[in-house]
Amino acid sequence: MLALNKSFLRALIIQHTKLCRNHLTPELKLHLITQECHLWKAGVDNCPFEDPFWAFYWPGGQALTRYILDNPVLFKNRRVLDIGSGCGSAAIASCLVGASQVVANDIDPAASVAIEINMEKNGADVQISTENFLENPPSEQYDTVLFGDMFYDPDFSHLISHWVKKLPHKTTVFIGDPGRLPFLNHPLKSALQKAARYELPITCQLENNGLTQADVWKYIVSK
Amino acid sequence: MSGIRVLVGCKRVIDYAVKIRVKPDKSGVVTDGVKHSMNPFDEIAVEEAVRLKEKKIVSEIVAVSCGPTQCQEVLRTAMAMGADRAIHVEVDPATYDHLQPLHVAKILSKVAQEEKVDLVLTGKQAIDDDANQTGQMIAALLDWPQATFASKVEKTNGELKVLREIDGGLETIKVRLPAVLTTDLRLNQPRYATLPNIMKAKKKPLVKKTPADYGVDVTPRQKVLKVEDPPVRQAGAKLASVEELVAKLRDAGLIPT
Repeated sequence: MLALNKSFLRALIIQHTKLCRNHLTPELKLHLITQECHLWKAGVDNCPFEDPFWAFYWPGGQALTRYILDNPVLFKNRRVLDIGSGCGSAAIASCLVGASQVVANDIDPAASVAIEINMEKNGADVQISTENFLENPPSEQYDTVLFGDMFYDPDFSHLISHWVKKLPHKTTVFIGDPGRLPFLNHPLKSALQKAARYELPITCQLENNGLTQADVWKYIVSK
Repeated sequence: MSGIRVLVGCKRVIDYAVKIRVKPDKSGVVTDGVKHSMNPFDEIAVEEAVRLKEKKIVSEIVAVSCGPTQCQEVLRTAMAMGADRAIHVEVDPATYDHLQPLHVAKILSKVAQEEKVDLVLTGKQAIDDDANQTGQMIAALLDWPQATFASKVEKTNGELKVLREIDGGLETIKVRLPAVLTTDLRLNQPRYATLPNIMKAKKKPLVKKTPADYGVDVTPRQKVLKVEDPPVRQAGAKLASVEELVAKLRDAGLIPT
C-alpha cells in the first residue's frame, strides 16, 4: 500500500471513529464507530469507507476476545492466526496474554490500518496481513486459528468448513458466533465443543438487532 | 430448546410523507418516480418479531414481500431491523398493478406452510389501499386462529395473549399457535436501521421466488372502476354578527324557521 494512501486512511479512521472501552472487553481500547459518531446513522451511501466491518466490534469477536483474556494459558506461547480480524481485537488479546507469534489477517486495506492503530493503542505487537488466506492458505504453520463472527456470510461459512479440515493435525480452532443463521445448522457444528457463552452488552445488541448472546466454540483438527 | 418461527409480511408502499397524485385517467395513483418505503404497520410487525427474538421467544424471523424488484430494498430494511432472512416473491410491475389482498394472502399462506412457521405477523393494513384483508384471509386459508389489531402481545405456554384495539375499548384474547397476528399502531415504536445493522444485513440470505412457485394464480378477482381525489374543501365565509349567522343557517335550512 502506498504510504500516502495509508496515512490518509489513518487520518480518516481517527476522524470518524471513537476510541472506546464500552464493550465486553474493556481491557482493550478500540477505534470504533459508536452511537456518538455521525456515521452511525449515516446510510451506506454517505459512508467514506466501503463496508467498514472493522469499525464495529462484532458480537462473535467480542465473545472470542473475552474468552482469550479469560483463558490466557490456552494462548500463551502459541502461534496464533486470526482470520477476518476486523478491528484486530482477538489478535491483540492473544498478543497481550503471551502468544509467541500473532498474525491478524483481513483482506480489507482499511481494516489493516485500523488493526495497526488499535495495536499501538494497546501496546501489542501483531503482524498484519491482507492476503486472502481463505483462498490461498498460508504456508506457515499455526497452533491456533481464530474466527470471530465469520459465519454471517453463507459463502464464508461454506469455505471455512472445508478450510479448517485441511489444517495440520492438532491445530486448535476457536470460533466466536452469536447465533448467525448460516452457523445454526452448519454441518461443522457436530464436530465442535462449546467452550463459553456470554451475554452481549446493550451497546453490542444495538448494533446487532435481534442478537443477545454469543458463544465460543472449539475444534481440534484430528487426522 | 428452540423458539417459534415467524413469517413477517412486508409491503412496499408509497412513503407516508409523499403527497399522493391520482392518474389523469383515474385508473390508479402515480407511483413512477415516487419515494417508496415499508408499510409503517409492517414495520411495527417486524419490530415486534425482533423484540420477541430478543426475549428468546422467537428463534427465526423470515421476512417476505410480494411485488417488483424494488421490494428487495424493503426486505433489506427488515433484515437490518433484525429479520434473519428474506423471501422476495417477484411480481412484474404490470401484474402488480392488479395484485389483490387475496393473491398476497394465498402466497403468504403457502410460504408459511413451506417454511413451517408458527406465527404469521403482518401490519393490520397497508397505508396505500387500506384494504385490511390480508391477515384475516391468511388465517382463513390456513385455518389458523387470528388476533388482529394487536396493541400488546405476551407468550404463555404455546399460546399468545393479545390485547386488541376495538371500537370503544380494548379486548384481551388468547390464541393458540400456529396463529396469524396483525399489528396496530400502538404495539411498539419501530427502531431505525443503523449503519452497522444495514451493513451486516447485506449478507443475510434473500431468496427469489414467483407466485407460480407457490402455485398461486394471480389473475385479478376484482376490477377497479375508478380512483378519484377526495372532494376539495369548499371555502368558508366570515360573518360579522350572530344574527347574520342565524340568518345564513336559516337560509340553508339547517335550523327551523
